[in-house]
Amino acid sequence: MARKSKGRQKIEMTRMSKESNLLVTFSKRRSGLFKKAYELHTLCGAEIAIIVFSPGKKVFSYGHPCLYSIIDRFVTGKSSSSSSSAQLVEAHRSASIRELNMQLTEMLNQLEAERKRGEELAKHRKASQGKCWWEAPVSELGLQELEQLKVAVENLKKNVVKQAEKLMAVEASNTAAFLGASSSMGGGHVGPSNIDATKVPHGLGLSMTPHGFTMGYGRGFF
Amino acid sequence: MTRKKVKLDFITNDSARKATYKKRKNGLLKKVNELSTLCGIDACAIIYSPYETHPEVWPNTLGVQRVIARFQRMPEMEQIRKNLNQESFIKERITKTNEQLRKQYKNNRKKEITELMYQCLTGRGLEDLNVVDLNDLGWMLDQNTKEIYRKVESIKKRAPEQKAAPPLALQVPPPTPRPTNGGGC
Repeated sequence: MARKSKGRQKIEMTRMSKESNLLVTFSKRRSGLFKKAYELHTLCGAEIAIIVFSPGKKVFSYGHPCLYSIIDRFVTGKSSSSSSSAQLVEAHRSASIRELNMQLTEMLNQLEAERKRGEELAKHRKASQGKCWWEAPVSELGLQELEQLKVAVENLKKNVVKQAEKLMAVEASNTAAFLGASSSMGGGHVGPSNIDATKVPHGLGLSMTPHGFTMGYGRGFF
Repeated sequence: MTRKKVKLDFITNDSARKATYKKRKNGLLKKVNELSTLCGIDACAIIYSPYETHPEVWPNTLGVQRVIARFQRMPEMEQIRKNLNQESFIKERITKTNEQLRKQYKNNRKKEITELMYQCLTGRGLEDLNVVDLNDLGWMLDQNTKEIYRKVESIKKRAPEQKAAPPLALQVPPPTPRPTNGGGC
């Protein structure tokens, strides 16, 4: 069974021969090691210090509550007595750590949900690609199909622009009406008559420049 | 070995906590060992628990002292640069996860808009879409147009003598998702 990576396969416990693999392995395993230490502390309250030197002679360390206090404790053989103020500080830290933990868990759940959604969308795509020729990737289409598709796409683009301009004209006139009403004491009647729809600037993200969309308006994702 | 998702919170049950501590502590020491061996680097670990007065260490007392000494010889800036504690560790992970989340949203949005585009190409109306959707849809259409032009150019370049067949009637493909001209499906 050919696999791209060595995940979930047994590897030999000797120094890795390939330098590039070694660096990647170091990076991943160091990260995983710190994660395990973080979990051990969270779950069991253990105080842990880890020092790791990288192949590039840099040093990475993890220590909670504080690396230096644990090193001190190890070297001198005695632990710093826990004064009441130290305990208070520790309690505060625990509270904020708990909050951060909750935030992280929430985000990880969101990420999981979005990934599932992505899978669903991809599955749906694949299913419909089999049925409709125009949904296939452009690179697979023939000249005649491309010509036909091009016309359809350009037509739709025109309609999209028209629709967007319509919406923004409505929004602009609503804004004007609101402003007008708030500035005139008698509740003056300011209708959309002074808004010229054709003057809605293309700079509002609907530019048809060769560069495509500028996304200046709205909060699209691109 | 359990493969259940463990809730990352302090274990209140004393015996469960002690058992978990034992297992994970051993696992942690094993991982440090592996990291050091596989990558040929210096490392040490010190673990204090409420269950013993003496810490659990790797590789051994002398080895730990050696690594600590090497660590302390480094300039303080270098010592601190890559130092993490619980809070900074979590904050780093939050940042990374945020980045992944952003990427995933963007990915999913692209898929959504592509789906929308195909629906609109086959008859779906635009009236219920808001400006953001329309913007993104327009962007996707522009991208598609560019791709189509590029592909057409490359086809014409490869076979310039071959005249392009006259395009079919200029109409939107029929709404039923079935192949119309027998090509491609």
